[in-house]
Amino acid sequence: MSRNRELISKIGLRLDGRRPDELRRIRCKMGVFSQPDGSAYIEQGLTKVLAAVYGPHQVRSRQKAQHDACIINTQFSMAVFSTNERKKRPRGDRKSTEMSMHLQQALLSVIETDLYPWSQIDVYVEVLHADGGIYPACVNAATLAVIDAGIPIKEYVCACTASLGNNEVPMLDVSHQEEILGGPTLTVAALPMSGKIVLMEMSQRFHLDHLPKVLNKALEGCKDVKAILDEAVKNHVSEIGSATGWANTTS
Amino acid sequence: MFTTKCFIKKNKIGNFLKHVREHYIRDDISCGIPSCDDCNAEASSHLNEVHLNKCSLFKFEHFIILDTNVILDQMDVLEEPIICNVIILHTVYKEVKHRSLPIYKRLNAVLENPSRHFYIFVNDHHKDTFLPEDKNELINDHNDRCIRKATSWYMGHVPKRHFVLITDDAKNRQLALADNIPTCTITDYVKHLENNSILQDKLSRKDFHSEKEAKDIFPPHLSTAALLKGIKEGVLHQGTFRASKDNFLEGFVSVDGFTEPVLLQGRDGLNRSVDGDIVAVEVFKMENWVSPSEIVLEDEGVSEESIEDVEQKEQALKNTTVQEAEIKPTGRVVGIIRRKWKQYCGIIQGNSEGLYQIFVPANRSIPKVRIETRQAEFLKTQKLIVTIDSWPRSSRYPHGHFVRALGRIGSQDTENEVVLLEHDVPHSQFSEEVLSCLPKLPWIITEEDEKRRVDLRSIDICSVDPPGCTDIDDALHCRLIEEGKLEVGVHIADVSHFIRPGTAIDLEAASRATTVYLVGTRIDMVPGLLSSNLCSLRGGEDRFAFSCIWEMDLQANILSTRFHKSIIKSKSAMTYEEAQLTIDDQTKTDAIAESLRNLNKLAKILKKRRLENGALVLASTEVKILMDSETMEPLDVELKKMYQTNSMVEEFMLLANISVAQKILQEFPDCAMLRRHPTPPASNFDPLVKAGRHLGFDIQVDCGRNLADSLDRAVKPENPYLNTMLRMLATRCMLQAVYFPSGTLQKEDFYHYGLAVPLYTHFTSPIRRYADIIVHRLLAVICGSDSTYPDLLDKQKSSELCQNLNYRNRMAQYAGRASVAFNTHLFFKGKLNDEEGYILYVRKNALQILIPKYGLECTLYLVKKNETTLFEYDEEHQTQRAGDVVFHTFDPVTIRLQLDSSNIQHEKFSVLLVQPAIPGFSVPALSKDDEQVNDAEPVKKGKKRKNIAAKSPKKSKS
Amino acid sequence: MSQKIHIRSASASNRVRPLAATQKYHRIFTPGEEVIKAAQTHFVRGHGTYEEGGDLKASVAGVKEQVNKLVSVRPLKSRYNGQVGEVLVGRILEVQQKRWKVDTNSRLDSALLLSSVNLPGGELRRRSAEDQHMMREYLQEGDLISAEVQSVFTDGTLSLHTRSLKYGKLGQGILIKVFPSLVKKCKLHFCTLPFGVSLILGNNGYIWISPTSNNVEGDEGGFIQNLEEVIPKDIREAMARVRNSILALAQNYMMLFDTSIIFAYEESLKYSVHELLLPETMVDLAVLTQQKLSMMEDYEFIN
Repeated sequence: MSRNRELISKIGLRLDGRRPDELRRIRCKMGVFSQPDGSAYIEQGLTKVLAAVYGPHQVRSRQKAQHDACIINTQFSMAVFSTNERKKRPRGDRKSTEMSMHLQQALLSVIETDLYPWSQIDVYVEVLHADGGIYPACVNAATLAVIDAGIPIKEYVCACTASLGNNEVPMLDVSHQEEILGGPTLTVAALPMSGKIVLMEMSQRFHLDHLPKVLNKALEGCKDVKAILDEAVKNHVSEIGSATGWANTTS
Repeated sequence: MFTTKCFIKKNKIGNFLKHVREHYIRDDISCGIPSCDDCNAEASSHLNEVHLNKCSLFKFEHFIILDTNVILDQMDVLEEPIICNVIILHTVYKEVKHRSLPIYKRLNAVLENPSRHFYIFVNDHHKDTFLPEDKNELINDHNDRCIRKATSWYMGHVPKRHFVLITDDAKNRQLALADNIPTCTITDYVKHLENNSILQDKLSRKDFHSEKEAKDIFPPHLSTAALLKGIKEGVLHQGTFRASKDNFLEGFVSVDGFTEPVLLQGRDGLNRSVDGDIVAVEVFKMENWVSPSEIVLEDEGVSEESIEDVEQKEQALKNTTVQEAEIKPTGRVVGIIRRKWKQYCGIIQGNSEGLYQIFVPANRSIPKVRIETRQAEFLKTQKLIVTIDSWPRSSRYPHGHFVRALGRIGSQDTENEVVLLEHDVPHSQFSEEVLSCLPKLPWIITEEDEKRRVDLRSIDICSVDPPGCTDIDDALHCRLIEEGKLEVGVHIADVSHFIRPGTAIDLEAASRATTVYLVGTRIDMVPGLLSSNLCSLRGGEDRFAFSCIWEMDLQANILSTRFHKSIIKSKSAMTYEEAQLTIDDQTKTDAIAESLRNLNKLAKILKKRRLENGALVLASTEVKILMDSETMEPLDVELKKMYQTNSMVEEFMLLANISVAQKILQEFPDCAMLRRHPTPPASNFDPLVKAGRHLGFDIQVDCGRNLADSLDRAVKPENPYLNTMLRMLATRCMLQAVYFPSGTLQKEDFYHYGLAVPLYTHFTSPIRRYADIIVHRLLAVICGSDSTYPDLLDKQKSSELCQNLNYRNRMAQYAGRASVAFNTHLFFKGKLNDEEGYILYVRKNALQILIPKYGLECTLYLVKKNETTLFEYDEEHQTQRAGDVVFHTFDPVTIRLQLDSSNIQHEKFSVLLVQPAIPGFSVPALSKDDEQVNDAEPVKKGKKRKNIAAKSPKKSKS
Repeated sequence: MSQKIHIRSASASNRVRPLAATQKYHRIFTPGEEVIKAAQTHFVRGHGTYEEGGDLKASVAGVKEQVNKLVSVRPLKSRYNGQVGEVLVGRILEVQQKRWKVDTNSRLDSALLLSSVNLPGGELRRRSAEDQHMMREYLQEGDLISAEVQSVFTDGTLSLHTRSLKYGKLGQGILIKVFPSLVKKCKLHFCTLPFGVSLILGNNGYIWISPTSNNVEGDEGGFIQNLEEVIPKDIREAMARVRNSILALAQNYMMLFDTSIIFAYEESLKYSVHELLLPETMVDLAVLTQQKLSMMEDYEFIN
């Protein structure tokens, strides 16, 4: 039993002092770049991710273009300095490709692609510091960037991880340390308002008995994330609005 | 909910990585004191304001806050219920966990006990008590600072209560006083407590040597840094120290880079290492290497100061250990990397007066320990537990302190307790929580149950067990279903019906893993209500069973197999003897008798087939001790009798186990609980092959089949016991069979060598083995009568469980043997017997003799101290010759046995040769000359050392 | 060449906080939020909204706009959505048969049909096959043009025209790209600033800064690039100053129109041109401009 060290201490606190159902601190900022159409930066605990969105714009290669929808092109990369051991290459390895695909999957579920025939949206995410829950941070950052770019989406797509501490207590938003020490990690990307699950991934096998409670916890986490993002978006929009003096608005 | 302040922590692993971790500071952490209004009192706080500590050092009642060093060193004191209302700071708690896991576990046990009123205060996440680390500060200083900060916070937070900081760190104390924090050392604190006498004994002594300046007996240890450097550079080697059981001045360390363990000799060589410690050794140059001495040396020191006798013995050791041929890498311990000190059982040596006593551990690989006690007179009559605290250079013995007394020396209960403790057998009473999981009585079978199970109550089922068996977990039946077709059923108690996964009773059973059988007592794995009643398939009562039912033809070929849960009613619970009589008595023709006869026939075919496949028949000397039911003294020791029915039951159990193993592996390729018996490496068989060669037999060991055949061939008509002896030797060459989850190994490794089957598991004894319960659960899932649960299918979890099961099983086996050995000793107490025996091994200075009647092994020394020997040792042929008498391996001898009780700690057998007579060595047979006995007494003491090896040959398979 | 490197921590560069006077309450909708409940009968779904379960929900983050029954949510920032008559600055991407593809920062490339340009030789000249071969002579890949939206195709592609003397190929000058929503829609998108600099504020967020040319354009139809003419240094400096001022405003989400740019230019005079690129200066500039604008608004209000 030594391998699964106590992730939740007797007092009910996790290694970093959180309670099992608490997210890490989330800080985010939209419109961090002027060049892309939309951009965002998010910190979830120490995991830091930048996202940039270009588009929608004309598809450059004619083969890929679709007459009834826009295509979404995603690229995930991790800065070489983002992990403890310096990475050899920032993108192109199997894990990055997989991440890109998963990210694309999450975005496809919300972006109203049929509004933009013959178009393409490029989403680039870059992990600056990896401390667990990379995928969720990327999804959340991409969502913000997409909103910043003014691209219509059905609703927020948020992601969150959850795991099982001490084999019984579901815990939210797993840090890198806990990922290493703990058991299986469940990553869920969901549409928190409608409660739909877009993507679900497990790092190891879960027993079926544990899955519902961990999954529910993860969905709760997604809702919490959404609330935080929503507030950030509102702040950001009203900031721009008041800076521009709400010009070009009729109401 | 939480303030978001994060701080940076650097960690260095290998190539200097910087780790950054978050650290949340919270404002919702309670101080745990019930009367505090500011904090919403947590339910988990056990602190109590009524039962406060009183110590004459302080004029007020107070809560105690402890420093880490106090917990680490003085856990025995803290376990005493006198001290309560203690606040454990999280800083301290973490450090304890980091430094010592055993102490951490004990601390947790105390914390969980509500009557002790301990509370963990999470000071490092509390907004007011969190202190960031200073750059130039040592971690220790930082922790001390945190402790003081938390204490003073408490003083400010709850002004009407008082708090005392107990620390053994002088600097911390000084700084605390500067902050007006009341503080003292644990020693002072305990001394000023009321009713402190027991506590004082339990104080750990770290600061002994300051009492007086003694000359250093041991060379110093190198500093940790120097050790690590040395190991890194390859000058020093790291390994676990194993003390020799026979020679207190000798030990071994297995290190990487040397194929053989490094030999350590003498006081300087061992340099205060205790069995189990991880030490750093320096290996000498090749020319200084020596061979391990084959002599037996015992520490006879009586006091701490004198070391003359040790020096003398070291000299003796040096003289004996020059033998060119067998030199081993030799070295000396230069430092201890990690102490593995535990608690040890033993007694007080008892020949000194006063505060200090020498403690003699029962385990001979552990050195004697000096302890301080105020109850020496009482303790001298007791078996007690002691733990080692320190071993300063100036002290011949390590210093320790008394933990607790077990009971009177020599009493059955105490000895059992010692055996259980030494083998780490959990043997406390079942807790209330566990007992609450038991079904309510009267237990009835509901209709629901009947619906779910196959009703087999009409079938004539019977059980066959040893006499006096109350935990009957298997029953059998056999009936003719059509011409030439038999239905055979094995019915196993359905323990998994009562023990549901995850309940307290399940956890307890998993931790106990097995029922431990000692002479005269039994340590149950599950509470008695289950083991002897509800799960026991008693005759004439309705019981739940898990049935494995085959259809077989008359040649014992399995036509079909099925498993299901059932309700059975055993018609008769028989002993092996009764069953045998029923079979033999041709007049009996009832269903049971017929059924038994059929079973017996089938079993013979099965056994024959199994042996043809290469299954080994191994011999062991399992003995049974007949106890006087009133005095609990052994009346007689006898070998267990074997009937055909024993083998009959065994065959069907094996068959059931094999069938179940196949089934569960098929359904759960990743997590089936199986049992394997690894093929021993060829080198293990060396002694067997050698012994065979001397006797003129060619023992082939390349595969199980050949081994079985060659053992069958090795028969000498003039020595009927020889074959048995060979088989016993073969048994000792085997490895231990182990449980494992199927996902962890390759399929080839599943093989069971002893039984020569590719798959095996344990299914048939769920009452006394936890592995069987797991197998039952797996099988129940397959039958659809139960559902899975997470841990059952978790490879990792199963693997951990298996490790525990294997460990407990091994320990249970050892404990059982130790108990038999003790009782055999008890039986011989005051007796003087001539016994028939056989030579097991011929050694350079001794003969190892087995007395089959008692399953006892003892050593007959051929060389007396300071005397020239009469014997010539022929190493090549493994013989000893004196005149015209030649001792070969397996030769019969007659010896005289007597128990030497001069040392109550280590009672030993004194062995004298009777037959064949060798003038000047052997003694005449007992009946002729009784006076010899009286003479023998003074001679024995100190001169001849007779040992009994407690090991009785074991049956390592199944 | 010695370069001064400015290092500052991130917190030093603040953004402009809007003045209290300009604070108006605006209800902001975010994606997925209900705009109007049970709307299907009374309202018509506009941009930035979608219907789900009978409710009208926002699909972008922005403010609600309602024209009669048409409800839409307008994001404050998005790609350029062209409307007929708007002035654009664009770049030629591709020369095709009968048309040029133009990058106009909208979601699809815009088209400039050969028939929608004024070719040398007068309005009424017939387009011949030869003209098609000559297209690259008029405009080639990379050329910048100013144009006006003529129509919007069904798939959203903009069709441009340059049938006016003020449109056509652009000569010497600087192009800046800002978010389209920052360009204020007004009557005049061609403005001549008093300090020898002309601006084309493209509605698509592309802004063209050029020296004010004195010579009255002839009938060249705007396909002449005069790259020979040397622009005096003071004009070049003024152009650079204008550019940096616009960047400063854009950075701080200030609306861009003639007045704000002139104010920003005036306020920038206390800094040297290159200093204008420092984040602190940009903020300062934006704040000062904002104050000036609000003073003017007040003044206008009083009158």
